Amino acid sequence: MAEEFQITDEMRAQIGKESEPWEYEVTTTSVRMYARGIGSDDPIHYDVDFAKSQGFRSIVAPLGYIGTPVFLPGKNDPTFGFPRREGGPRLNIPFRGLLDGGTETEYFDVICAGDTLVETSHLADLKLRESGRPMLFVTNEAVYKNKETGKVVAKQRLTSIHM
Amino acid sequence: MAEQNYFEDVQEGQQLPPIKITPDKQQLVKFAAGSGDFNPLHFDENFPMLKPMGLTENIVHGRFKYAQVGRAVSAFAGYKGRVKKFGVSYRGMDLLNKEITVNGVVTGKRQEGGENLVDLDVWTEDPDGKKTTPGNATVALPSKG
Repeated sequence: MAEEFQITDEMRAQIGKESEPWEYEVTTTSVRMYARGIGSDDPIHYDVDFAKSQGFRSIVAPLGYIGTPVFLPGKNDPTFGFPRREGGPRLNIPFRGLLDGGTETEYFDVICAGDTLVETSHLADLKLRESGRPMLFVTNEAVYKNKETGKVVAKQRLTSIHM
Repeated sequence: MAEQNYFEDVQEGQQLPPIKITPDKQQLVKFAAGSGDFNPLHFDENFPMLKPMGLTENIVHGRFKYAQVGRAVSAFAGYKGRVKKFGVSYRGMDLLNKEITVNGVVTGKRQEGGENLVDLDVWTEDPDGKKTTPGNATVALPSKG
């Protein structure tokens, strides 16, 4: 029962377990589409010549956009687009409610159109709020490397709240 | 893009220029296309999950608000600055066709590892002034010297 839920040793053992890698593409079209989606009119996200004149390789990905996961029918979630990968952590969570708790991104380089990123993710943390209605906070960390250089360009932590 | 900020000029307590946006359905559909998040919660007013939540309007994507905070942080950094990190918590829902305001303030500045770092508190507010998406950021700014 959800009311009696406790984080088990089996669940804690999933922390740190890494998923298989997945490619994320950053293209001129995808950067422009994301920029339009957030209502930005900054030419750094649209105009390649302008972006180059400012010292960038190409148009710059808006903050929060770290590419689009390559979509393969049957292998990606049809609603959210994220990859459903083999391996990685598996949690048996009894709660039906789900909320987005937060997003945190650490950048080590600027992400530009033309970049292909290789992402792996792992379960970083599990916390249970025990007072009141139980809520399980699940934090996943995704690490994005530039496919060409192998350099880590960003790490993003996503917290979901199950209740 | 606003004028470039330089490390020497930035002061603790300095406020970021606010960004205001009132997302309509077309805007959220564009965001769905750009982000790949096609959850109907954000664009279908008949989506069955809305009613049990007591809502008659669609909910703005949390990641849309994260991106709005990102716009304010990017504008502060300018093209010569670099955003080192930024994060938010989603504490309250924002609804379709309701104005969202992004605000921010400088909370500190320091030199570390050869970089000129500026710390910011950043957040979104709903029309009642409630902070629905509080967060913080660290930006490396260029020096005049």
